[in-house]
Amino acid sequence: MTDAFALPTRFGAESLGGCYAPETLMQPLLDLEAAFRSALADPAFQAELKAELRHFVGRPTPLTAAPRLAAELGFKALYLKREDLTHTGAHKINNALAQALLARRMGKTEIIAETGAGQHGVATAAACARLGLACTVYMGVTDMARQAPNVARMRLFGTKVVPVEAGQGTLKEAVNEALRAWAGRCDHAHYILGSALGPHPFPTLVRTFQTVIGEEARAQVLEQAGALPEAVIACAGGGSNGLGLLVPFLGDPLRRLAVEAGGHGRALGEHAARLDGGRAGVLHGCKTLLLQDEHGHTAETASISAGLDYPALGPELAALALDGKLEVRRASDDEALAGARLLCEREGILPALESSHALAALPALAAEGAATVLLGLSGRGDKDLSTYQSRMEI
Amino acid sequence: MNPLLPFLMAGDPSLEALPVQLSEARSLGIEALELGLPHSDPIADGPVLQAAAHRAIGRGATPVRVLQTLAGLKDSPDLILFTYLNPLLQIGAERLKTLLAPTPVKALLVVDLPFGEEPAFEADLRAAGYPMVPLLAPTTTLDRARQVLAERPDPGPAAPFAQRFAYVVARLGVTGTAQSTDLAPVRERVTQLRDISSRPLAVGFGLSDAASLAAVRAMGATPVVGSALVRELAEGKSMAACLSPLMDGDL
Repeated sequence: MTDAFALPTRFGAESLGGCYAPETLMQPLLDLEAAFRSALADPAFQAELKAELRHFVGRPTPLTAAPRLAAELGFKALYLKREDLTHTGAHKINNALAQALLARRMGKTEIIAETGAGQHGVATAAACARLGLACTVYMGVTDMARQAPNVARMRLFGTKVVPVEAGQGTLKEAVNEALRAWAGRCDHAHYILGSALGPHPFPTLVRTFQTVIGEEARAQVLEQAGALPEAVIACAGGGSNGLGLLVPFLGDPLRRLAVEAGGHGRALGEHAARLDGGRAGVLHGCKTLLLQDEHGHTAETASISAGLDYPALGPELAALALDGKLEVRRASDDEALAGARLLCEREGILPALESSHALAALPALAAEGAATVLLGLSGRGDKDLSTYQSRMEI
Repeated sequence: MNPLLPFLMAGDPSLEALPVQLSEARSLGIEALELGLPHSDPIADGPVLQAAAHRAIGRGATPVRVLQTLAGLKDSPDLILFTYLNPLLQIGAERLKTLLAPTPVKALLVVDLPFGEEPAFEADLRAAGYPMVPLLAPTTTLDRARQVLAERPDPGPAAPFAQRFAYVVARLGVTGTAQSTDLAPVRERVTQLRDISSRPLAVGFGLSDAASLAAVRAMGATPVVGSALVRELAEGKSMAACLSPLMDGDL
């Protein structure tokens, strides 16, 4: 039994992150960190993960040049890192599969997960079906309605989807319920958190399993373009996709940008933009930038994208932003829809609503003079067809 | 031995009712009481306390208003403020100490604050007379229990129960009544803890019936009753009608 964490639990000058967990979960979290470190040091685990990522997930994913969209926006070159082409259709599978392998190695027999857009839920459900683990996913009722195809996919994979009716019925409530479920079943269950959030070691674990995105992208862009781009950009909900793409570029002389959900207004409750609306607080086990009211109660959020509709920014991403290592932008619902439409029309690729927020930030980036850009296309938009149809009147 | 540690959610059914609730509890012989500060995201609470917290927030029971309601109350048990960390962090240690000073609050039970995460905040409050209650869960190893009890030390026999006791969580999961809680593991845990600590112990999570309360008292520990009490109070029963049957038994 381990009695202290060995890895750093805090990020940046503001000392964000930490492990603000109920006592029941402390030993499971200590054991998880120990198992994670042991797995990373084990060549057999690394080899199995690499093989699964290649043959089951479909890695490496392509880096696709987007010349027609680049010309439309006024870039010299635009590259898309195609996480939408992974098995299950989003970057979430990288982490879900790795954590499922870790859980099996720990002797756990059940997996618990939360999901917002359903991409993490589907990825976890697929990984569990493949590895023979029982799986329960908690999902807000609002999200179940707006991401119905993903609910059906999870159920087809044999996963039990538990509706969460509390509050706004979105990702925050799903995480609340998943944490409660884990506290009740932590003797045999592992909780696969899908974002770079939660108590230590989750933010570090998720980031570690997602940086494969940026590592591949960096090598691919050097190979295809012969040089690094001037800017790398990704959307940011909790931060798994943002960190996964941006962290491997931290040492490079280029601009790194994360795009938050601007929702439909600037007032508290109308968006999920934590950097210019949030202040440091503790939610779901970590200290980070949090949208909250004057009483320290979590604020409501709004976004057309279920995956970005969350009141807290992952602590490492928030620390990088506060320490000036990346820029954070916001894109509104309407801007995201326009970004999605442009990619569909110019390149024949249907992006997820989450990824569309990164696309929405491109015109401003072009106006600022960026000539070469690499964008993380975190997921595909099939799950969002009903929203696109109703909002775009097609 | 303290026979019962009740839990109330501040502001449920109303903040106006709180002084009377506390006075009634005291007249029934309650020495110490856990008072829940309603939070938007109570990740360690089951459905009954979640609903109570949301009702209370809906009726305006903000953290500051709760503490202001407690200011100057003399006719009250010693209070243990049961809360999540974020509302306290947002109030800040200095203002929190000022708000707590005129209240019967004697200790804090911060569900999502393990020792060592906010050392300066915790030390500041302890020095001002508001120690954090040590929590021990079924997953807490005996080595870690020693660590928790040392980090949140017993102020000694002269201090009131509220500042001395350690909270032993009877089962995995969140607060709330269970179908049945097997008390054998917690009995063993209490025996182990007796070997390493002389402080009073309270046992909670899932207790509601007379038999389980009696079983906890037979361990020499104080039973905590939360969700069962909150549910009955919400149905309109008086504090005396709720607490009297719970006080009976092997005292």
